[in-house]
Amino acid sequence: MIGIVVVSHSPALAEAAVALALQMTGDTRPRIAIAAGAGDGVIGTDAVRVAAAIDEVASPDGVLVFMDLGSAVLSTTMALEFRESTVEVRLSSAPFVEGIVAGVVLAAAGAGLDEADREAASAMAAKNAQLGSAGPPAAPQAAPATASATGEVVAEATIVNDVGLHARPASVIVASMAAFDASVTIADADDPKRAASASSLLALMGLALGKGTRLRISGTGPDAAAAVESVRAMTADGYGE
Amino acid sequence: MAGTATVAQLVDWLHRFAASVAENQTYLTELDSAIGDADHGSNMTRGMNAVVEKAGDPSTVDALFRTVGMTLVSTVGGASGPLYGTFFLRIGTTAGAVGELDGAALSAALRAGLAGVIQRGNAEPGDKTMVDALTPALDALDAGLAAGDDLATAARAAADAAAKGRDATEPLVARKGRASYLGDRSAGHLDPGATSTALLFEALAAALAGAETA
Repeated sequence: MIGIVVVSHSPALAEAAVALALQMTGDTRPRIAIAAGAGDGVIGTDAVRVAAAIDEVASPDGVLVFMDLGSAVLSTTMALEFRESTVEVRLSSAPFVEGIVAGVVLAAAGAGLDEADREAASAMAAKNAQLGSAGPPAAPQAAPATASATGEVVAEATIVNDVGLHARPASVIVASMAAFDASVTIADADDPKRAASASSLLALMGLALGKGTRLRISGTGPDAAAAVESVRAMTADGYGE
Repeated sequence: MAGTATVAQLVDWLHRFAASVAENQTYLTELDSAIGDADHGSNMTRGMNAVVEKAGDPSTVDALFRTVGMTLVSTVGGASGPLYGTFFLRIGTTAGAVGELDGAALSAALRAGLAGVIQRGNAEPGDKTMVDALTPALDALDAGLAAGDDLATAARAAADAAAKGRDATEPLVARKGRASYLGDRSAGHLDPGATSTALLFEALAAALAGAETA
């Protein structure tokens, strides 16, 4: 499992963002280290602390680092020169809060460095899409459900949760996908253009699917049937809420 | 070329810089409050006070600047920490385990420091950063040395050039750092980082002139 490092000017900000992310994971959690503040209550960042945080959570799968702004980025690039571990470290360009949420959930679901980094980095596009203000999410979309390709499995289910398919249900879906060798797409059955990969937390959240929305769940791949059924069942069940 | 900078003079440089930053703390913070997050004066004062505390009496240039760089990295807090930290660390590694630097060696070490700052901050001349004071200062130092000036004279010219570079940041629009969030509104203010860098070269000129004591 990849390690997560959170670099912030403010310990309070970092701890709150991590707490928000951990609300969405179960018992399986990635190792998370916070490097925030410059000591003695000073708002700032410290490259030595960042290096120690990277070393603390260093895993063979790599480390993904989230930074707030300004000197957090400078201190982190400097920390790469100070650290003792030699595992791969990736600096995420994601917005701080969304990135940490996506990174922690994806890491907990067993995502590798590439996937977690890509998902987190798509957060801005997902938010734009949710607000209807800009282009499509940069996250890789699963093949559209129009694919006439071999063996597509399709099911439908209706969202029963009062607040719709929000962050926590989305994270439940994404985490469940790790178990299957399948590519699953979730779409609004009445508006199929609104579709997202079931493996993309931010893309799913970006769809902003409300209560009562009829979902078209489609999948391809060796485990498509089981994966689609899993999403159908958890949707009907209210994602455990 | 005549003249060298001994470790003792370099320690003196840092002491003078610390005193100058402390003296100008309010001014630096005022500049930073106009276009940044109003902490440059307090950050640099805290960092340089820690440097004075920890610098001690090292026997080699690299040991001195390693201590200086790491201390700033861990105590400044803001972007100046990694930027000035990188500057001094690169000076140390380039100078090596020597007890003094002649003009060429000091210039090479400072150039490595500048390269480190540019690499760390991704800044270019004209971005309204400390690079805009550092670059002309080192150009003037080199020009003086090439013309056969002694090190003290060349350092004096470097300080004057740094001050001019600082003044030239006033009309610029910031393209790096917190000030860049302000866009065009950052014009009309001196850059705080270029201002502290001008103090750094003023302190160097004073330390190498050596005659008047602190």
